[in-house]
Amino acid sequence: MRLLRLGAMASMCLLGGSALLLLSQPASAVPPFARQTGLACEACHTAPPELTPFGRRFKLNGYTLTTRPPLVNDIDEHKRNTVWLTDLPGIAVLAQIGYDHYDRAPPDTGQPYPAHAQSDSYQFPDQFSLVYAGAVTDKVGAWLQLTYNGQGGSVGVDNIDIRYSDHTFDNKWVWGVTANNYVTFQDVWNGFGSYSLPNFNTVTLWSGGVGGAGLSGPIINTFGPGIVAGLGGYVWFNDSLYFEFSEYHSSFAGGGTPTADSTNLGVNGGVLDKFAPYTRLAYEYDWGYHSAEIGASAMYVNWIPSVGYISAQQVLAQNAASLASGLTPTQIANGQSAYATAQTFNPGAVNRYTDLTLDWQYQYNGQHNIFSFLGHVTHERQQNSDQLTAATFTSPVGGPIYSNGTDTLTQVLATAEYWRDRRYGGLVSFTRTTGTYDPLAYGGNGSPANQYEVLELDYMPWLNFRFILQYNAYQVVANNQSPFNLSNNAFPNSPGFPNIKASDNNTWIVGLWMDY
Amino acid sequence: MDGLLMKKLTTHSLTVSFSIGAIALACTLAGTVRAADISLPPDPGARSATTLASWACSKCHGASANGISISPLFPILAGQNPIYISEQLKLLRQHYRADPHARAFMWGISNKLTDEQIQGLAEYFAALPAVSGKPSDNPALAAKGKDIYLNGVKEPKVVKCAQCHGEVGAGTNNVPRLAGQHKGYLALQLHYYHTKLRENKLMNRNVANITDDQIDAVVEYISTLSGTESHDTTSAGDDDTSSP
Repeated sequence: MRLLRLGAMASMCLLGGSALLLLSQPASAVPPFARQTGLACEACHTAPPELTPFGRRFKLNGYTLTTRPPLVNDIDEHKRNTVWLTDLPGIAVLAQIGYDHYDRAPPDTGQPYPAHAQSDSYQFPDQFSLVYAGAVTDKVGAWLQLTYNGQGGSVGVDNIDIRYSDHTFDNKWVWGVTANNYVTFQDVWNGFGSYSLPNFNTVTLWSGGVGGAGLSGPIINTFGPGIVAGLGGYVWFNDSLYFEFSEYHSSFAGGGTPTADSTNLGVNGGVLDKFAPYTRLAYEYDWGYHSAEIGASAMYVNWIPSVGYISAQQVLAQNAASLASGLTPTQIANGQSAYATAQTFNPGAVNRYTDLTLDWQYQYNGQHNIFSFLGHVTHERQQNSDQLTAATFTSPVGGPIYSNGTDTLTQVLATAEYWRDRRYGGLVSFTRTTGTYDPLAYGGNGSPANQYEVLELDYMPWLNFRFILQYNAYQVVANNQSPFNLSNNAFPNSPGFPNIKASDNNTWIVGLWMDY
Repeated sequence: MDGLLMKKLTTHSLTVSFSIGAIALACTLAGTVRAADISLPPDPGARSATTLASWACSKCHGASANGISISPLFPILAGQNPIYISEQLKLLRQHYRADPHARAFMWGISNKLTDEQIQGLAEYFAALPAVSGKPSDNPALAAKGKDIYLNGVKEPKVVKCAQCHGEVGAGTNNVPRLAGQHKGYLALQLHYYHTKLRENKLMNRNVANITDDQIDAVVEYISTLSGTESHDTTSAGDDDTSSP
């Protein structure tokens, strides 16, 4: 039972993994690029963070386009450039403020009675970032972001992308190397990943609900700053074809040595084992005011699920050692153990994920009207460790974590956005997640399903200052993801929430986004 | 599909060697390029005009540095008259030309250009093969535009374009070539001249009375011009015997 309970915790941690990515909320356009290039924001953005064809090429060229004169430009006796410093460091500040109104007052995590909860939440700031963005040398550029996260109340390393790039004279071949800490942060289209639309997410029920409440999604969405880091190479051919191959590794912020993964297990429901390859292929075709892209990506991940703060494999070994020492299963279930707590980490039980994504983006970037239709379909295949799966579970104590040997998950996101003169805008977005039922993994009714729409109106009096009015409407929220249901489970003796519906989670958001 | 991919991807040694290979290749490429550029100080003010064309201009005015932009937001520069390019770059550099797109895109990026670079860029783009017009999809509109282009409008007065830009739209000296240019770009510039967002005493006066319909018609006709005397046979209006 203990293993089962801990397994459920692990699953919930995984489900709530996206909540831990608060540090990687939108960073989007930054004035340092404008200062460096002398170009207005609209050169690179339809509306931040969505990139125009120019913006994509600026990023693929390593953020290096500049008109700034160098402050220092030394040439040594071998006619080699020894240092190149711009006269203007590319520093920006970015702030995001959000005011949420929930249709139904959310559970108060500290109290069993819902009467104590409030229907409104004000995040001031929701996010505050310092960013260096721009050229480091003539062929190296960087995005280095430090963020104060209002909800966590802490400052941490946020998105990082350091890239080298070069090209042939006719730009038929552009190539580069990127080191980054967020899978998809290096991408230049907006149909999926870190800069997919809608991009303005403030604190909703999902970011800190009871028992790790949060919407299910593909594991690739959780690989952000503080969790992974990777190195990749890319080629941009004939101004139309993009290919990238990267590999990621666990890079837990605040963790110990890279090999001590056991210290990282308490966060994000587990830890990435060894290397996770990620590859991306995309084709863009531009004509007139139009730009269209279709692409695909694949990521393969070995994942060690955590059970409490140690690996599932360690729990199994611990139980086996305890049994051998003469303890009874009941004693073990009550917490007695013959196993030393400080174990050499042994990654045994590993789940294997394969995430395949198809993404698309159509842009009309006219003189007054801007329209985008973009999105993705991600299909995830999760092959659970035999040692943790019900049918093959052999340990005499504890219980399995997964009902199925293989689980699948499919997420569809489609967004349509319109802007008039980059001043008045709005978007409609639809997200639907479905997957195999796995009661042990997901808890509740065993479904990972959710479905919701985001409706947004925007007013952008200046390109670095934007007001947002957003409504999130939910049609499906499986009970293992709902904070109301989880609250009832957490406080079984309290009156609880009657008549729980998916629409209870509907939220109004008034937001302000600015950077300078 | 999953099975095939799984087989490929589960081989760690394979992926690691891919990675090492990719990094090695990138480093090799990096080393090669750095060696070639070793004597080029990365000072924007010191770059040659051709380097600038490839490194900066190409982002909007043709990815392969061919001077042929894809989006009508940006003009086609290939084959443009060098004196016109040079004059415009200087006007942009000194922030005299102040239409919205000039401010957004060109003010900053032309800010540090030297006279030598401007001259070099003008010669570079002027030497590129120019684009010719294409037959119109809307011959009736093109015919109406032809009348305006060749004869102007009497009342309220719009000066005929051909007077300065030539019957084939080739322009001369500081009068720009119009043939082959994006219709959207031409229409936008005419709006800018009409509303004086783009200042030019001659053009502001010439199109002071032009209407939106007339702009649509005249750019439709200009888009058919070849820019050369001997090949100007694509005009849609040629078959229209009713055209004056």
